[in-house]
Amino acid sequence: MSEYLIRRLLQSVLVLFLISLVSFGLIHAAPGGPATIYIKPNQSPEIAKVQLHNMGLDRPIHIQYWSWLSKMVQGDFGITFKAGRPVGDLVWPALKNTLILMTTAWVMQLLIAIPWGIYNSTRQYGLSDNTAAVVAYAGMSMPAFWFAILMQEFFSLKLDLLPLSNMYAINKQGQILDLIYHMVLPVTVLVIIGMAGYTRYARASMLEVLGQDYVRTARAKGVSENKVIFKHALRNALIPIVTILGLDLPGIVAGAALTETVFNWPGMGRLFVDMAYAREYSVIMAVTMIVAVFVIIGNLIADILYAVVDPRVRLSGKGATSA
Amino acid sequence: MSQPVVKPALPAEETYQLSTKPESLLQQAFKKFFNNWLAISGLIIMLIFITLALLAPYIQPYPAAKIDLLSLDAPPSAAHWLGTDAIGRDIVSRLLAGSRVSLLVGFSVAAGTVFVGSVIGSIAGFFGGWIDSFLMRFIDVMLSFPGLFLNILVLAIFGGQFIYLILIMVFTYWMGVARLVRGQFLQLREMQYVEAAKATGVPAWQIMFNHLLRNATGPIIVSATLSVGGAILSESALSFLGLGVQPPQTSWGQMLSNSQEYMLTNPMYAVYPGMCIFLTVLAINFVGDGIRDALDPRQKVRIKKGRLEQWRARYSK
Repeated sequence: MSEYLIRRLLQSVLVLFLISLVSFGLIHAAPGGPATIYIKPNQSPEIAKVQLHNMGLDRPIHIQYWSWLSKMVQGDFGITFKAGRPVGDLVWPALKNTLILMTTAWVMQLLIAIPWGIYNSTRQYGLSDNTAAVVAYAGMSMPAFWFAILMQEFFSLKLDLLPLSNMYAINKQGQILDLIYHMVLPVTVLVIIGMAGYTRYARASMLEVLGQDYVRTARAKGVSENKVIFKHALRNALIPIVTILGLDLPGIVAGAALTETVFNWPGMGRLFVDMAYAREYSVIMAVTMIVAVFVIIGNLIADILYAVVDPRVRLSGKGATSA
Repeated sequence: MSQPVVKPALPAEETYQLSTKPESLLQQAFKKFFNNWLAISGLIIMLIFITLALLAPYIQPYPAAKIDLLSLDAPPSAAHWLGTDAIGRDIVSRLLAGSRVSLLVGFSVAAGTVFVGSVIGSIAGFFGGWIDSFLMRFIDVMLSFPGLFLNILVLAIFGGQFIYLILIMVFTYWMGVARLVRGQFLQLREMQYVEAAKATGVPAWQIMFNHLLRNATGPIIVSATLSVGGAILSESALSFLGLGVQPPQTSWGQMLSNSQEYMLTNPMYAVYPGMCIFLTVLAINFVGDGIRDALDPRQKVRIKKGRLEQWRARYSK
C-alpha cells in the first residue's frame, strides 16, 4: 500500500509538472505573448523595454518558466500585471467562495441521491424510479446554466422570493444568514441538476448487487429485508459509488464556472472567466494549477477509497493504476 | 417407412416464409431500433432540426441580424411569430441561424473526437506495450486538465472563432473515445480471426482497420452520437460566456447570454433558445441510447403485447 502510494504521488507530481508546462507554454504561445498586452502601442520603444524588463518578460522563456514555477511551489503566485495586487489575494478568497457553494450543493446532492437511489432499487420502475429517470435524462440534456436562468426568472423576478445573484446583499457583507439566503437558489439549481444522475448511479449499483447470489442466499435463510438491503447489499453497492465520488471531487472546484457566472458568485470559475478576458496570465495560471491539484487529489482519493472499501482490490506497486 | 405428415394447425390466411439466411445482426439492430418509440421520436425531432438548419437561409423570414426599429421587443404576431428581441431582431430568424452554428459545432466536434480518439485508441490497443502505457499516461494527463477551463483559456487568448471553437473542443474531448476504442481492441485482438489473419500474413494496418476497427464500430457510433449532444451543450456554455461565435453571427448559447440582460423586460428570450438546445440534445441522446440498445445483443426485441397474446392463444391449447 505505501509503495503504491509513493508511486502514485510521484506520478501526480509529474502530471502537475506537465500541466504547468502546458499552461505556461499555451499562454506564451498566444499571439505576441503577454508582452504585447501590457505595452501600449504608442509607447516609445525605450520605455517599453524598461517595462518589459521590470516585469521580467525580456528574459529567456525557460528562465521565466523556472522563476514562475519555483515561486509557485512556495505558494507565491506573483502579482497581477494591471493592478499590481498579489494573485493570492484574488485566488484564495475565490476558492473559499467556490468551496462554500459547491460543497454544500454536493453534500446535499448525495444526502438526497443515495437514499433515493436505494429506495428506487427496491421498487424498480415504480413512480419514484421513473421520476428519477426522467429528471436524470432531462438534467443530462439541458444546459445547467439555462435552468439556472429560468429559476432566477421564476423565483427572483416573478415571485420575488429569493435574491437574484451575488453572495451577500450590499449592506450585509459577511453575515451568515444573508449568505444562506443567497445560497438557496444556486444550491437548488446545482442539486436538481446533479442529483438525479447520482440517484441513477446508486440505483444501478444497488440493482447489480441485489442480483447477486449472496443476496438470494441471505433472503433464503430468512434475513429480514431491511437487513438484506442495508447490511448485505448496500455495503457492496457503495464501492462503485465511492469511486465515482472521488472522480467527481474536482468538479467541485472546476464545474461551477457557469453557475457562478449566472449567479454572479465570486468564485474560482467566475474569476477564471473574468481574468481570461482581462488576460491576467498570472491569475489564469494560478487557477489552472489549483484546479489541477484538486483533480489529481480527487483521482488519488478515488483510488485509495476503492481499495479501502473493496477488500478484493489489493494495491501493489505494479498494475494497480487505472490503465 | 412412412411417417405421418403432421399438418400444422395454422390459420389458412397466414403464410410463413422460411428463408435459409438468418437475419443479419445489422437487420436485427435496425428492427430493434425501429421498435423503440423513444429512439424513433428522437430521430424524427433530430431530423427536423437538421432540415431546418440546412434550409435556414431559405426559410428564415428575415436576415438574422436585421434590426426592425419599428418593432422593438414586439410580442408574437403574424409578422414575427415569436416576436422580436429588445433591439428589434426577429426571434424565429435568429433561432434558425443559431441552429446552424450549434448543430455544425455538435456534429463536427463529434466527428473530430471520434477520428482522433479512434486513431490514438487503435494504436494503443493494437500495439500494446510501452506505446500503450505511454498513450494511456498521456490520456491521464489530458484528463487532469480541467477541460472547460482550457477551452475558456484558449478561446479567450485566440479569439472566439468558429474553427478554434471546434479544434479546442476536439482537443479536450477525444480521450473518452480513445479509451473506449482501446478497450475494444484489447478484447478483439484476442479473437481467433485476428490470430488467423496474422497467421495468413495480413499486414498490421489491415488487421487494425478491417478486423478490429470495423468490429468496434457499434460502441464508437454510440459514443459519437452521445458526444454530439455533449458538444452542443459545451458550445452553448462557451457562447454563453461570450467565447463562442461573435456577433453578428449567432448561436443558441449566445442568444441565452443576451437574454440575461433583458430578463426583467422579457423572460421569454431565455426560454426559446434554451428549449431548442434542450429538445435537440434530448432527441440526440434518445437516438444514441436507441442505437446502444439496438446493438446490445443482450437486449431482446420487445414483442408487442397484442402479438404475444395472439401467440399464447394459438399455442397454449
